[in-house]
Amino acid sequence: MPTGARAALVVALIYLFLVGVSSLEAGIKIMGADTQERLFSAVSNPIAGLCVGILGTVLVQSSSASTSVIVGLVASGALGVEQAVPMVMGANIGTTVTNTLVSLGHVRQSAEFKRAFAAATVHDFFNVLAVSILLPIELIFKPISGIAKWVSELLVGSGGTEWKSPVKKWVKEPVGWLKDMWDQFGASGNVKGALMVATGLVIVLVALALVTRNMKALVAARIERSLNAILGKAGGLVALVVGIVVTIAVQSSSITTSILIPLSAAGVLTLRNAYPVTLGANVGTTITALLAALAASSPDSLTVALAHTTFNIIGILSLYALPFFRDVPVIAATAMAEIAVRRRVLAVCYVVGLFIVAPLVGVAILR
Amino acid sequence: MVLSFFRAGDTGLDHVVTRSVAMVSDARHSFDLACTALLSGAQPKSIADDVRETDLRINANEQQLRGELAVHISVHGPNDIGEVIGLILLLKKIERVGDHAKNILDLAESGVSFTNEPDIDELLEERRTVSGFFAEASEILAEHDGIPEGFRDRLDQMIDQIQGRIDGYMTSDEPGHQVVPRAVYHRYLKRIVANLNSAVLAATEPVRVIDQAD
Repeated sequence: MPTGARAALVVALIYLFLVGVSSLEAGIKIMGADTQERLFSAVSNPIAGLCVGILGTVLVQSSSASTSVIVGLVASGALGVEQAVPMVMGANIGTTVTNTLVSLGHVRQSAEFKRAFAAATVHDFFNVLAVSILLPIELIFKPISGIAKWVSELLVGSGGTEWKSPVKKWVKEPVGWLKDMWDQFGASGNVKGALMVATGLVIVLVALALVTRNMKALVAARIERSLNAILGKAGGLVALVVGIVVTIAVQSSSITTSILIPLSAAGVLTLRNAYPVTLGANVGTTITALLAALAASSPDSLTVALAHTTFNIIGILSLYALPFFRDVPVIAATAMAEIAVRRRVLAVCYVVGLFIVAPLVGVAILR
Repeated sequence: MVLSFFRAGDTGLDHVVTRSVAMVSDARHSFDLACTALLSGAQPKSIADDVRETDLRINANEQQLRGELAVHISVHGPNDIGEVIGLILLLKKIERVGDHAKNILDLAESGVSFTNEPDIDELLEERRTVSGFFAEASEILAEHDGIPEGFRDRLDQMIDQIQGRIDGYMTSDEPGHQVVPRAVYHRYLKRIVANLNSAVLAATEPVRVIDQAD
């Protein structure tokens, strides 16, 4: 496909994505206060919210998609900022499942597997460590949501529960068509709301997947040049910025971090060079939720999207900028890779345990 | 470095080809220099640093470009796998040519010189022909138009000619100190020509074409 046509397609898909987020919001609103109350109480415990964030992201294999859905839920009033912040933190952990799964593809070659698994789990360990430290601090002092709320008010003002997003106007019409479509099928009340939510979810997931695929095709040569630039030569800061830029371009941290795995497995990229790129990917991926917040009508949705960005930036400033903490994920990932290469079944247990069993148990006990 | 994302430029494989052409030029430079010590009376000491630095540069480029090819596959997937395999092989062959140029220097450093030999004109002509092959190989790599007709035949003829000389030295009645250095030199020369032959083949036909009708 010619570059111009592909770029136009990406713009159209982003528009479709925004329609999906708006449809999600509209659907929840149609379902009424009862449904919103039930959703609200299901994640009232922050640890349960964190676990839902992990599970939801593992399910769709994209934190961009899951945080966009969270933004849509906040916009509809089904979730508050307090409930949503642990969920976006969970999305950060959940998104690392993709590159960990990619690393399992190298399981037959011990040396390759060791390097690949370490490069994948360094991202897991950083995100788990960041959540372990920052979630309790957030629950007590609320610095992340506080900063996000302050920035949000700077951007859209503090004028109550609604803000007039210009993007909202552009997507109003197609959302109206969706409502009319379900009306024509005779849907009403909760059924119509559920159908709007389902339609919105499908549109968000499909549009985002297509945006990612087409953006990757558009900027592949640029990604290649950037990665070549950091091979062995660049410092952590450059690698971090490359991670941010590449992830913003492809709208997916999983793409960025998964590209690193074969390079690490082959020994082209060292663990310490790959590590800051994954942190940059954490920040870069938050752009999608910010985009989604543009289609939402509540300032809270923007606050949650900004909280995701703030959490990742504070995580880097507190855990990567400080030399003591910086090495903890590297040491943990190296040790985990040593264990995994000796007992490969433990690598599978680790993936299933961290990304499925632990969050499921968390939700079951704490909801 | 981050700005490299926003700048336009060669795509990965084009960049590798451009750099590999420069590596062939470096290898030719090393070969020509090393031969001046062996055939034209240049002092090995005066050129040793240049030849060794050039060889190190060729080796470093090979390592770096192999890394870049791994990045290319990671980003683009297996679509260009044939070309990538060819380029990996090409880089290895050029690196070996550089190694053999250094071997010729080592021979000169150990005291071997053919400057005053009766067949020096023949040896110089042979060197000129081989040096010319470097230039032709560079052109073939840069132009992507396939191998010109007759080029590989000329390389094969040169390999046969050099092998004929080696066979002659192996069965010669001349004293060892006369024929052994010649046999060693010609062995290096043969490997250089054979590697150049393989390099252009790797770049133009990276994997053997399997035709079921064959």
